[in-house]
Amino acid sequence: MYGMAVTVGSDGRVIRPAILIRIARGPAFWWLVVPAVVFFIIFFLVPTASLFALAFNKPATGVIDLSAALSIDNFIRIFTRSIYYEAIFRSIGIASLVCIVGLLLGYPLAYVIAKTSNPGRNALLMVLVLSSMQLDMVIRLYGLMVLLGDNGLINSTLLDLGLIKAPLPLMYNIFGVVVGLVQITLPFMILSLIGSITSIHPSLEEAARSLGASRARAFFSVVFPMSMPGILAGTLIVFSLAMSSYVVPALMGGWKVLVMPIHIYQQVAETGRWQFGAAIAVVLFVSGLLAITLYHLAAMRAAGGRS
Amino acid sequence: MSDIQLVNLVKSYGEMQAVKKISLHIKEGEFFSLLGPSGCGKSTTLRMIAGFVMPSAGRILIGSDEVTHLPPEKRDIGIVFQNYAIFPHMSVAENIAFGLKLRKKSQAEIEITVTSALRQVGLVGYEDRYQRQLSGGEQQRVALARVLVTKPRILLLDEPLSALDKALREEMKYWIKELQRTLGITTVYVTHDQDEALTMSDRIGVMQKGRLEQVGSPEDIYERPETLFVTTFIGHSNVINVTVKGRDNGKTVVSFGANTILARALEGEVAPGSAAKLVVRPENVVIGRTGEGLPATVLTENYQGALVRYRLSLGEQEIVVERQNQSNVSRFAPGEEVGVSWDPERSEVLVA
Repeated sequence: MYGMAVTVGSDGRVIRPAILIRIARGPAFWWLVVPAVVFFIIFFLVPTASLFALAFNKPATGVIDLSAALSIDNFIRIFTRSIYYEAIFRSIGIASLVCIVGLLLGYPLAYVIAKTSNPGRNALLMVLVLSSMQLDMVIRLYGLMVLLGDNGLINSTLLDLGLIKAPLPLMYNIFGVVVGLVQITLPFMILSLIGSITSIHPSLEEAARSLGASRARAFFSVVFPMSMPGILAGTLIVFSLAMSSYVVPALMGGWKVLVMPIHIYQQVAETGRWQFGAAIAVVLFVSGLLAITLYHLAAMRAAGGRS
Repeated sequence: MSDIQLVNLVKSYGEMQAVKKISLHIKEGEFFSLLGPSGCGKSTTLRMIAGFVMPSAGRILIGSDEVTHLPPEKRDIGIVFQNYAIFPHMSVAENIAFGLKLRKKSQAEIEITVTSALRQVGLVGYEDRYQRQLSGGEQQRVALARVLVTKPRILLLDEPLSALDKALREEMKYWIKELQRTLGITTVYVTHDQDEALTMSDRIGVMQKGRLEQVGSPEDIYERPETLFVTTFIGHSNVINVTVKGRDNGKTVVSFGANTILARALEGEVAPGSAAKLVVRPENVVIGRTGEGLPATVLTENYQGALVRYRLSLGEQEIVVERQNQSNVSRFAPGEEVGVSWDPERSEVLVA
């Protein structure tokens, strides 16, 4: 794969990534995976699997026990009612948009941080990126609501200045949800990008310049393609976080932006129809996985299928 | 092809001056080495010529063009980096074609040029390989081919051999020199390795602490060092503390301990009585029996195969002498009294 870090050793020979070096390990070595695997099975696999199994029972309000009578009615309902199947596309669309916006905002900053060698300045920039993660998501979103609401800072300022007659719709719509999701996911995007941009040796950019490439040309023909692994990793993380987020669409969309997690919550918490909620969860899971796989394949193809 | 002129070039980083007012004229077609220890400013100087570092003061001219403030891509230069900087996401052919595409050459012309460049560097059939499939030496050849196809006015080489193993380094040394001679391209070569500089260069500029200590041919630098730094940095030298006595028949008379000897003439006047350093290379000292030259005592003998190295006590100072280990010369044992001498023209007086 093109993202593999290959370095030239002091003797000029290519040093293989450490991961390829096989070391003979005794069977005891593999016991080290047991604690994490046990945790994963008990607290993720079992509950998720039983929820997914529930999706194949007919809806019965308040019932959460599995019954032997299997049915795919829930799924038929999802794919025949526009309110539900549109939510699939809305979820994927919003998650994709968040990825694009996050990439556009995050890349320049990540580039600057990666290229800043001054340790003090570098630390300051990193603190700026990570500081937002020190507060809980809900608290940060309340802050955002103060800014974007009809009586929020932006609208009241613009109204006072007489630039607008009525408040701009900045919240309780897709715009608000995207802003919220970008705010939450941006650090993940930036951290992935910094890692891959830092690993690009500065002499590659300089070589391109000396061969006649402008700064911009050198960036787009060398730095950008070489940072693809970081772009891929960043967008995949952000996509997954955005696609599965419930809190952000709930607070920033005010239940008006109906993405799949909102439907799941409504079915389970408001109407008590666990079975139907579980079915939406299955569809969310599978469609997210499908979108990621397709994206990954497309990215590989764009990279020319180079090993 | 062009010459290069550096005029009062300065680079400072805050208080620290990395390059202190260097003036240098590198002639057209010349192979010029900047030689010095790490941190002496040689790489900074090269990077200023390339345009990656902007000078704090001074001017750079390539041919008749002032390039001091031009970005690298407008300077028409070629540079090979220490790590070769082969683009890992492009094949060998794409790497070499990179500069040609920027020059808007036709696809047909690019293919012909790439093929002939690969033949020139001895890598026929390597078109579709990637950086990770190349050895260090092959990467270096690709880096050179990539640069040369753009027909740069000058070639800059930044320690290009330091990442290679010893055998390959020897081979590449002669190969690069030969290529440079064939092309007749003005070349600036940065290295900390005196062997590379001495074997490859037409002229060498020895740098220390941001200054050019001496500029001259390899012979000048090795045999007529002008400063103590040059004499100790290039090869081994015996440095003997002496007092200048005066002049005799175009030579300088110096004394140390009970010995008075002649050395090559000093440039300029030096008052008799001033302290100076007498510099003699170990291979230029001749050891003989007692009475043949200055009296000395053997301290240690160190057998090195083709050479035997002696440490001697000479007038209460220590010197090192090397001599060829030939069957017709006798060896000396520690403690033995010997006589040493050298050609005055092969010894240098440097005023401390």
